[in-house]
Amino acid sequence: MRSTLASLTTLTILSAAAHTARADWSLAAAASANHDNNVGNAQAESDKVRDYAASANLSLHELIPLGGGFGVAVGGDLAGEAFDRLDGLNNASISGALSLKKKWGLGAFAPWARGQFSLGREAYQDGYRDATLYRASLELGKRVDERWNLWVQYLFERRDASPAPQAVPGRSSDAFSQDGNNLAATVEFSMSERISLTAGFLWRHGDVISTSLVPWNYLYVAATAIAEDPTFGPDAYAYKLTGTTYGVKLGAEFFVTTHSTIGCSFQHLETQANGGNNYLKSVPEITWNYRF
Amino acid sequence: MELSLLMHKLFAATLLCILVCSAAARAAELHVRVVDHKGKLVSDAVVLATAVDPRNALRAKPATDAVDQVDKQFVPYVKPVFVGATVRFPNSDNIRHQVYSFSPAKKFELPLYGGLNAQPVVFDKPGVVVLGCNIHDWMIGYIYVSDTPFFAKTGSAGTAIIADLPPGEYAVRVWHPNLARTEDSTTRRITVTAEDSTSAEWQLDLKPNFRVPRVSGAGSAAYP
Repeated sequence: MRSTLASLTTLTILSAAAHTARADWSLAAAASANHDNNVGNAQAESDKVRDYAASANLSLHELIPLGGGFGVAVGGDLAGEAFDRLDGLNNASISGALSLKKKWGLGAFAPWARGQFSLGREAYQDGYRDATLYRASLELGKRVDERWNLWVQYLFERRDASPAPQAVPGRSSDAFSQDGNNLAATVEFSMSERISLTAGFLWRHGDVISTSLVPWNYLYVAATAIAEDPTFGPDAYAYKLTGTTYGVKLGAEFFVTTHSTIGCSFQHLETQANGGNNYLKSVPEITWNYRF
Repeated sequence: MELSLLMHKLFAATLLCILVCSAAARAAELHVRVVDHKGKLVSDAVVLATAVDPRNALRAKPATDAVDQVDKQFVPYVKPVFVGATVRFPNSDNIRHQVYSFSPAKKFELPLYGGLNAQPVVFDKPGVVVLGCNIHDWMIGYIYVSDTPFFAKTGSAGTAIIADLPPGEYAVRVWHPNLARTEDSTTRRITVTAEDSTSAEWQLDLKPNFRVPRVSGAGSAAYP
């Protein structure tokens, strides 16, 4: 709660400062629906839980051009997610972000870099997952021409949750706090005046949470923390593991107007975690985006 | 002798007056309709008429014009001007823009500004000038700097009217931002007469209009 208030206060102060400097407001809204065939990141077929989820996001940022190719952006996001079966995962989040962008040269084809820090809070229906989110990222991008656009991103994320009641004596129960290092590269290609295609590649190393209904020995041995996870059932336990994820995401977007798009995507993730807990996940999604 | 000279001068002045008045009265109009290869009406095409007879190539006074910025777009999208024109770039948005062009016909940059604070720019070389904003990459606009004073731009109905043309023969060409072929390849000889307005139609091959998107759901972009 304290960090939520701090985020809001920081956001308000920075927004007010930006507004007085003739800033450039950017208000965007997004909605999506997806199906996750392995919500609990389980390896065993018997542990896999499939579910549908719908989400919405409202984003308000102010861009303050500083001259010399530099610009500061300050803003925040409000988001919500609702699951079809796993009600305990329904969540709302708020975050504030501050970024500094540098563009080398004039025009749409000039290379650019952006460093960003964000602070947020996630609140779940099953409150034991509530967490404060810290994110720091560095992005580099270049639009090659009117049709091709490329960017890469490094992101460090920390999810700081309160430790759950101890489930196994002598073992940490802080299963819902996670650190992760992400590298992502995205290629965007305009197929026609109104359709663009994207391909994204992801590498992530850090903590992952696998939820299982069966106390598999390999999970028990490799886990750095274990906690009860009643969202998935009365006998479910969450195991925090260190793992590496490789992912690919393919998407298509249709430009409905100059302000809005509808799109679809398919993401496939493969994780190799300690203890031999290797799992797969596929997430098809449909999206709608609007920028005022 | 003096009376005779005076009479000659009066006669010459009267003759000149009649010639000028009759030329004005005889000014013709050229109506042009522009469609694409599917027959769809084409807006923002610039139609230019160059007099074949150099006596009809009247020297027009370069004008002052403006290209505004509204809702993070250049308005109008295409602006034809006569060579030598001074163009202002007012900013009607309540934010700052940074207008630039890399085009050989005019390279310039207006540092970040809001309102009416930008220096006007003189376009003293014929050609196409592509405008951009360094803050909002999707903003694109065109200034066509014409080497002839006879030009017009098609509206949403795909038509343009070049008025006040002295009767005679003209080389007429059409330019559009998405023209697939060269501008010269569109040139036709057209004779306009004083009696009636002359009509002509162009069918243009246009290439797809790939533009930097204003919105993207791909997860990231250069803006904000």
